[in-house]
Amino acid sequence: MNKLVTFLAGSLLTATTAIAADTLTVYSAGPAPLSGALATAFEEKTGTKVELFQSSAGKIMARYQAEKSNPHVDVIISASWGDALALSEDSDLLPYQSPNAANVPAALKTPTFVAQGAAALAIAYNPNSGLPKPAHWADLAKVEYKGEVTMPDPTKSGSALTLVQGLVAQNSDSAWQLFDDLAANELLVPGANSAALNPVLQGAKGVVFGAVDYIVLGAKNKGEAIEVVYPSEGTVLAPRPIMILKSSKQQDSAKAFVDFVLSEEGQKMVAEQFILPARTDIQAKRPGWDELTLIEFDMAAAANDSASTKEKFSQITK
Amino acid sequence: MAFSLLGGTGATVASTRWLRPLLFWLTTALLLLLVGLPVLAIVAYALFPHINEWSFAQPFSAIIPSLSDLDLLSAIGNSLVLSFSVTLLSVVIALPLAIQRQHLAESNGRLWDALMLVPFLIPPYIGAMSWMQLLQRRGFIEQLFGFNLNDLLYSFPGLVIVMSLHLFPMIYVAASQSLRIIGQRYGDVARVFGGQPWPIFFRIQLPLVSVSLLASGLMVFVLTFEEFGTPEILGSRFGFEVIVTSIHKKFTDWPIDLPGASVLSLILIGIAFAAFKTHGWLTKRFTTDIDTPLLTATKIEVPRYRSIIANGWFCLVAIPAVILPVVTIAISASQKTLTGGLAWSNLGLQHFIAITAVNSEPWQALTTSLLLAFGAALGSVGIALLVAFTLVRMQPKGLALLDFLSLLPNALPGMAVAVGLILTWNQSFWPMTPYNSSAILLLAYMTLTLPYPIRTLTAALKQLPLSLDEAGYVFGASELRVLLRVLWPLIAPVALASGFIVFAISSRELVSSLMLAPPGVNTVATYVFHQFDQGSVNAGMAMSLVTILVSGSIIRLGQSLTRSNML
Repeated sequence: MNKLVTFLAGSLLTATTAIAADTLTVYSAGPAPLSGALATAFEEKTGTKVELFQSSAGKIMARYQAEKSNPHVDVIISASWGDALALSEDSDLLPYQSPNAANVPAALKTPTFVAQGAAALAIAYNPNSGLPKPAHWADLAKVEYKGEVTMPDPTKSGSALTLVQGLVAQNSDSAWQLFDDLAANELLVPGANSAALNPVLQGAKGVVFGAVDYIVLGAKNKGEAIEVVYPSEGTVLAPRPIMILKSSKQQDSAKAFVDFVLSEEGQKMVAEQFILPARTDIQAKRPGWDELTLIEFDMAAAANDSASTKEKFSQITK
Repeated sequence: MAFSLLGGTGATVASTRWLRPLLFWLTTALLLLLVGLPVLAIVAYALFPHINEWSFAQPFSAIIPSLSDLDLLSAIGNSLVLSFSVTLLSVVIALPLAIQRQHLAESNGRLWDALMLVPFLIPPYIGAMSWMQLLQRRGFIEQLFGFNLNDLLYSFPGLVIVMSLHLFPMIYVAASQSLRIIGQRYGDVARVFGGQPWPIFFRIQLPLVSVSLLASGLMVFVLTFEEFGTPEILGSRFGFEVIVTSIHKKFTDWPIDLPGASVLSLILIGIAFAAFKTHGWLTKRFTTDIDTPLLTATKIEVPRYRSIIANGWFCLVAIPAVILPVVTIAISASQKTLTGGLAWSNLGLQHFIAITAVNSEPWQALTTSLLLAFGAALGSVGIALLVAFTLVRMQPKGLALLDFLSLLPNALPGMAVAVGLILTWNQSFWPMTPYNSSAILLLAYMTLTLPYPIRTLTAALKQLPLSLDEAGYVFGASELRVLLRVLWPLIAPVALASGFIVFAISSRELVSSLMLAPPGVNTVATYVFHQFDQGSVNAGMAMSLVTILVSGSIIRLGQSLTRSNML
């Protein structure tokens, strides 16, 4: 009982003090261990307290929207480049170029935001499933994979949308033909990333079309029997943008935080989670910049068409 | 009129004029604070899409596009059909059990009662996940016995079965209690005069339990209507969208459409509210007058074969409702890897050990959830006691407003409450705000759980004849004294029981927690959600099992303590 009272009183107290104190508020879309480690290391280095809200990219944006009359967040780390583009278009973001972003490829930085790291979209397959090892995206439309393929829903997962946009940008006709064929091959589109990956880990399905690679590599590292294949015809990156809000009252600390995330130390922490570090000079713990064949396309232009792209995809896979 | 005794409120009450207005204003203020403000915020948002920036620009622009969405109509239809089906199946599962319960010896029956509460302790999304692991292609059943029920699981009947197996205890508890109290005595009388079992059931017992069946059935209906996790996990596999998943989509898919979501939330509120109004009308029509609802059941001798049949019946339900899900969760929590499947070499305790490390992230999530759940139970039941007493006994002016406010939270989805609370409390003009602290979670849980104690306590209070109060007044007792010395001891067990329900729901609440958890705070549900999201299903299952066991034992302990103290 006493503990409860102190707990509740304590939480009320933090409610009133949090507004006044010099703390940096960061909303981050996973992975939780990474955001936690970055926040702790930054606190130790600078003495600035970091308040971390950890959720999925969509819920972070929903919270940000609902809070608009009295914004709290200083820095957002999202899993969706599209979210950052949209905020930038609404001119909600503070223009800032970190000196540490020098080694970040030009495609992964804009005047208002920069990638903290990136995931690549890949095929994840369960070697226990007895299926042949796939090598190309189109392989999954073959008859041996009938009823065995899942894919994250582009309407629910920003990274899956990026993959559809990339493949369509590369060759519109063959990409939509591929999705038609996949649908005919009983492609299952069960929800966001975990909804597509978990059935494959459990063995109910055999292959994920467009899995976020660092999550799969993390699962493999924990002992799961799961393999990642990067199709040689190319894949897309899902960069994870970090941005400072214009409404931030802690702009200096926010800039320092972005600098820290892009520092050598911060980027090594990013690499620890099997994410591709944004800086090309930091060693990745997974296939790095030189090993990936990437489909180059204009993400800002693709973002303008995203509603119709999602609509078309849903029609095909319904 | 249902309970005629309630019709003429006391000309006797003259002693404490201040209590009635005080209680009325206090309860109204509390309900306005907890329920009224967030709902008002949602309404404002639906009307003025930019109210979150303190602007009244583009008024009403969100309503037409949201309502003209064709998918919305099918989602509403799906929600209604699903809720009806789940309610019906839950009654079909629960009613025979409640009847069989009368044929059990007391200690035996209590054991089954406790076991039948377990499904309610399993968070719905965890239950759905465990059914997937068990029944789907290459699931546990197939690994052991070589067949699967994949097609049934991912179908409308499968969804209905999974949700009913989770929700039927609500009906079982209500029906078995009212059968025990009223059904048996009247059945005895009929039996004395040569009544046969079936006519006794249809002519006497069924009409007498119909009130509690209606009340608890409605609760199941609304709970199904609001449920997010199971339809999202299972329904999305066969393209079945309900109104709550549509709302969730508007809240989380870019571009985030909060005003549109508010419009949908209002529809949800409207439908649930209509359900309660219909229920009120139905109970008024079909309630039977019972002179002395306080009759206690007498001990009757049950033939041995009847108790064997009854036990068999309970086993039949307990296997799919309790044993299979719990065993699946336990196995899953003990698996080292998901891909390793069912093999002795793949079993270990590593995921449990990770939780028990004091001050680790999962440990903190567990203690936070338990403390919050305890706080929510205290707060929710406390407010519900005030509301119930004011509604049933005081009958103040402005009753309709109070009645309306007490019904509202029934109709609120977790997501809507979360946004309503953010819009309400994240304003710079408040001198002090619970927002961005754990207190906002406490507030959310209380708002979401208020209906349970309010429903059960008003029902319980209605069952207590007004003559009890009047007896007190005759001897000069004040209202406060009657409240504390006469009514409180009688409804305390009910208050406690509803407190446990609040505790169970709060300790696992997912949707609003995901939105409202202040920076740096994790609850059990958000922790499990993040584990699932990162492909660590086993670790999430271990956490769920620990929570089910801990909150289950707390509830059990509470029940046995009250039994020794009060009964």
